[in-house]
Amino acid sequence: MTEQRNYDPRLRGGKPAPAAAGDRREFLSRLSKAGIAVAGCGVASYLLYDPKGPTPGIKAEDIVTLPDFSVPQKDGQTISIVQGPDRVKAVNKAIELLGGIERFINKGETVAIKPNVAFASPPMLGATAHPELVAEVVRLCYKAGAKQVIVTDNPINDPASCFTLSGVGKAASQGGAEVVLPKDYLFKHTTLAGGKLIKNWPIFYEPVGRADKLIGITPLKHHHRAGASMSMKNWYGLLGGRRNVFHQDINTIIAELAMMVKPTLVILDATFVMVTNGPTGGSVSDLKRANTLIASTDCVTADSYGCSLLNLKVSDLPYLAKAEKAGAGTTDYQSLKPKLAVIQQSQR
Amino acid sequence: MGSARRRGRQKAALESAISICLLVILFLIGLGVFVKQSDYDMSRFGIDTAGIELSSQQLGLIREKKPDLVSLGPDGFTTLSEAEIYNPENLYEKINGKAPLYLESGFVELLTQRFVSNNDDNLWMELFVYDMATTRNAFSVYSVQKRADTELLPSMQFAYKTSNGLYFVHGKYYIELVGSSESAELLGARGQVVDKISSTLPADKEAKIDELTLFPEEDLVPGSTKLYLTSAFGFEGLTDTFIARYKFADEIVTAFLSKKGSDAEAITVFENYSKFLLDNGGKELPTTNPKIKFVDFYGTLEIVAVAGPFVFGIHEAENPQLAAKVQKRLINRLLEPTETPEK
Repeated sequence: MTEQRNYDPRLRGGKPAPAAAGDRREFLSRLSKAGIAVAGCGVASYLLYDPKGPTPGIKAEDIVTLPDFSVPQKDGQTISIVQGPDRVKAVNKAIELLGGIERFINKGETVAIKPNVAFASPPMLGATAHPELVAEVVRLCYKAGAKQVIVTDNPINDPASCFTLSGVGKAASQGGAEVVLPKDYLFKHTTLAGGKLIKNWPIFYEPVGRADKLIGITPLKHHHRAGASMSMKNWYGLLGGRRNVFHQDINTIIAELAMMVKPTLVILDATFVMVTNGPTGGSVSDLKRANTLIASTDCVTADSYGCSLLNLKVSDLPYLAKAEKAGAGTTDYQSLKPKLAVIQQSQR
Repeated sequence: MGSARRRGRQKAALESAISICLLVILFLIGLGVFVKQSDYDMSRFGIDTAGIELSSQQLGLIREKKPDLVSLGPDGFTTLSEAEIYNPENLYEKINGKAPLYLESGFVELLTQRFVSNNDDNLWMELFVYDMATTRNAFSVYSVQKRADTELLPSMQFAYKTSNGLYFVHGKYYIELVGSSESAELLGARGQVVDKISSTLPADKEAKIDELTLFPEEDLVPGSTKLYLTSAFGFEGLTDTFIARYKFADEIVTAFLSKKGSDAEAITVFENYSKFLLDNGGKELPTTNPKIKFVDFYGTLEIVAVAGPFVFGIHEAENPQLAAKVQKRLINRLLEPTETPEK
């Protein structure tokens, strides 16, 4: 039998108390209990309240900054523009005009090459760095005495498919480079000083962070969102996480990438230019033969010249001005006195 | 005393009944919260769904409802990789910066499949099947991306090919077949894939896009019609706009046409677009007709007109005489009496 609790004193069998006094006692008792309960909740909430809110769980020591891979500037040797149909010959000439590969790579150094391998697309479509060009740059680095050459990218599509179908994986491996595909543990978080978007953001750090020098290689392409995809946009491939959110502010993120990455050298391949339907393309008819290759120590400068091959002005691509304003490079490439050369078909 | 106890018991019973009801309600609320929280839309709460992998069983269930791309493979080819499925959340993982074009055009889903030749690993093709919800949307992404100087395929309503690819609309689907090379083997194989798609993939092949019939056919460049669902000519207010190109010797004239929901809406768009041109450096040329504007736009002629629910005109014409000629043809076509069914 469970005891039936009855709070009406008249029903307990005892002497009936004056109704008003009993009700008041009962009321005060309940009010006190309710007050204590409310106060307890308030104290508990105060003690448990976290004014900072949830954090990503990243320790300060886990935040990294990409090293500065740049080499000392030399007057008149910031950008070279070579015209010719053969990209292998063109890249040799372009680097030679900037002082030769030895200016950029010292004996015993580790070199990271970041080609644009964003898509699982055949080389013919020009959506990715051409394997012949990657192979030649790998060869030049070893020729200069590099201890190790790493070829790496964090593609949009499945990484293994991208490196296989683009031909870049095979070309790099055959040249003796280590191909590093993205894995979770190879990413670390970074924050760009003065950056608006790159804050506590994962980047593909490990293969680049352990290198002494960094070279970017990318084809020149139309880009539906950004207007053009060139050497600055190539660094998008170092970002991890849900990086597509940055497409909402594409000009800022490209400018911030130029601020974040200070490369040794960038190579912008415009042997064929994807003039429509970029950045993926999908047909050889999206390409126009421009027979041009640009090498530069300044990605802003390289892209400022490169956009002219898409019939764009520097002012058509707001990220160029943003990057220049942030001190990432120079849009007035003419002021840097580009080194020019033309390679005829038969010339070696 | 007895009646007081009886009343007390009745009161206690009533309180018990109310308490039980409240407990049942609380239990039902708790159950509702439990069920709902097990099945809420993660994307609305900013949680990364990309990393959540479907179980093989779930994936199998999804695929049962999708076109079976593997069966579309040509003879002498095998699948090169697993079929891939993309939705609006992760489309960018496949096509990156081109994703907004599709997302703004009603994109539902993309399925892809690669096939490789049994004879040569370097010969492969990738089939892209974009579900765009409607033929109109599919035509939009097809037409906006259509390459110049390509060969139209007369056997299909909207189709063309390049030396390495084939692109067409099949009902609500926009389909691309992209080859790794220009080899004859791939060209033959892609023909087989198209035949299989036509015969096995359900599609409303009879779906018509009415506005396309409103462009006069004389001097029309075949396959030049495009549909911009948003922001034609850089003006946000000009939506659902078709353009067509007319060729006269070496000169091209671009006509445009947009059917609005009502005459009043058409007048509003007409006025706003005219103002947009003038605000951006255009100079209005004299005319007595309030339903047509002639604007000198940095040396080219813009004509904007309104008739009934249609906003139409000529865009960036270099030759005013030819522009007027096409405009007149377009007006005549729009004013033609429409056929009505016989009683």
